[in-house]
Amino acid sequence: MPGFTRREFFQRAFAAGLAGGLVLSGLGKQAGAAGRAPVGTVIDLTRCDGCRLAGVPACVRACREENQRRFPRPVDDIGNYWPQKKKEDWSDKRDLITRLTPYNWTFVQKVEVEHGGKLYRLAIPRRCMHCDNPPCANLCPFSAQRKTPEGPVVIDPDLCLGGAKCRQVCPWGIPARQAGVGLYLKIAPRFAGGGVMYKCNLCYDRLKAGRPPACVEACPRQALLIGSKERMRALARERAGQVGGYIYGERENGGTSTFYVSPVPFEKIHAALMQQKAAQANPSAPGFPGMPVGVGNYLDSVNGLALGMAVAPVAGAVAAGVAAYRTMKGDE
Amino acid sequence: MADKILAGEKKVKRHGFSVRVVHWTVAVSTFLLIFSGIGQLPVYRRYMLDRLPGLAWTSDFSVTLAIHYWAAVLLILAVTYHLVYHGLRRDRGILPRRGDVRQSVRIIMAMLGQGEEPENDKYLAEQRLAYAFIGFSLLLLIVTGLVKVLKNLPGVDLGADIIFWVTALHNAAMVLLMLGIAAHLAAFLFKENRYLLPGMFTGKVDLDYVRRRHQLWYRRLAQKGR
Repeated sequence: MPGFTRREFFQRAFAAGLAGGLVLSGLGKQAGAAGRAPVGTVIDLTRCDGCRLAGVPACVRACREENQRRFPRPVDDIGNYWPQKKKEDWSDKRDLITRLTPYNWTFVQKVEVEHGGKLYRLAIPRRCMHCDNPPCANLCPFSAQRKTPEGPVVIDPDLCLGGAKCRQVCPWGIPARQAGVGLYLKIAPRFAGGGVMYKCNLCYDRLKAGRPPACVEACPRQALLIGSKERMRALARERAGQVGGYIYGERENGGTSTFYVSPVPFEKIHAALMQQKAAQANPSAPGFPGMPVGVGNYLDSVNGLALGMAVAPVAGAVAAGVAAYRTMKGDE
Repeated sequence: MADKILAGEKKVKRHGFSVRVVHWTVAVSTFLLIFSGIGQLPVYRRYMLDRLPGLAWTSDFSVTLAIHYWAAVLLILAVTYHLVYHGLRRDRGILPRRGDVRQSVRIIMAMLGQGEEPENDKYLAEQRLAYAFIGFSLLLLIVTGLVKVLKNLPGVDLGADIIFWVTALHNAAMVLLMLGIAAHLAAFLFKENRYLLPGMFTGKVDLDYVRRRHQLWYRRLAQKGR
């Protein structure tokens, strides 16, 4: 991607059948059955500097501005999650940009990692990875979360009850919960439900209108790129080849739509992040993800049992046939 | 599973071995499915069940989900066995008949001391209705559950609308099933129904009870025995 301007990128990516071009421009509806090309993103850590000179990284600022109207507006009197004496309320921390919260859907982690005798200062934009087979969406007990054909994984804030299961089954614990908002308030807010889960939706509305996500558009260093997923995968590989670097997100959680490219191994990044997390005032607080390399999908083991579901009726029928034959013979 | 009068023992053979195995397999797997299914709602942590000794695993979705899948395999095995076995044998005794609702009311009223109980067959009218209700709920749960299993596989995209409705139906069918099971168990609040309990354990019920309450069945058995 050296010498590859944002303008060129959009020309190449969108023109080359980028989901944003065809699918997401509205033509996608007609093209639907013919197959919508899902989008992918590249996050190039050789380019991102976390907007060193700015107070707030451009991607973070743009995301907050773009999604301001989607941020939760909880009721004044938020009850605890009975019978527990706690609740998740981030409404008094709306300005927090050092982790993922219901009011901050992307943030930049900064680590120093030594590799090959050289010290790297890395800035790592974090947000939802938009997985290929997202356990968050698959395991939502009310299907309030879904994987869109265009790639982004989105939460329906009108259906979400805020159980936060999605966060528990996400390898990165991405979705953030805000209490005092959403459907649960209309049912039995004291006894059931916990609010609504919030996370990056890759600016799904903008994508459908043929526009890139706000973070991508705002990045001054072209460290964030969007295009057709396969094109992005190829770009990430090309870039990793150029810098002798590493890719993250291609196989993690069974594959995602986000490809990080780094000049240092992600094992080292993960270790540095975990060290940072452990040093935080409340290390168990959500919203500060690591980068576990090769992390598996929550559904891997049970998907292995799917075959059992197919075999069970056959086995049942055969056994029944034998047993029925024997008893009928006996009856006669 | 030939029903017959065991005059020496003063019993009647009511259920064969495979019927009892199927009943208890369905019961155990359904219990596991309900418990692990409720665990798919993130409630055991919220309501602190996982803090009770030995129950920490209840809030671990990787455990409850695996239990849900394994128990589903067991349930599907038992249900297909049941359907094919009785289908081949043309056993229709437990299927609802015309007038079963009215007859169930009469049976319940009689147990409450109001009016005469009608003559019963092997299964009481309310048992036939309960069978249909629980059977329908289970089949709905199995079908929607299989779609959910399919949806969890990588590379399978069924569309958001289908997934939403399948999820809603699965959840609704679970409520129906729990109501059905509650009614099934509540039947044993009546002493008269408790004579049926040994049938599900030993396969045999008391001869006097059958003679007194299941007259239609008794006459048929007596005729066959001659």
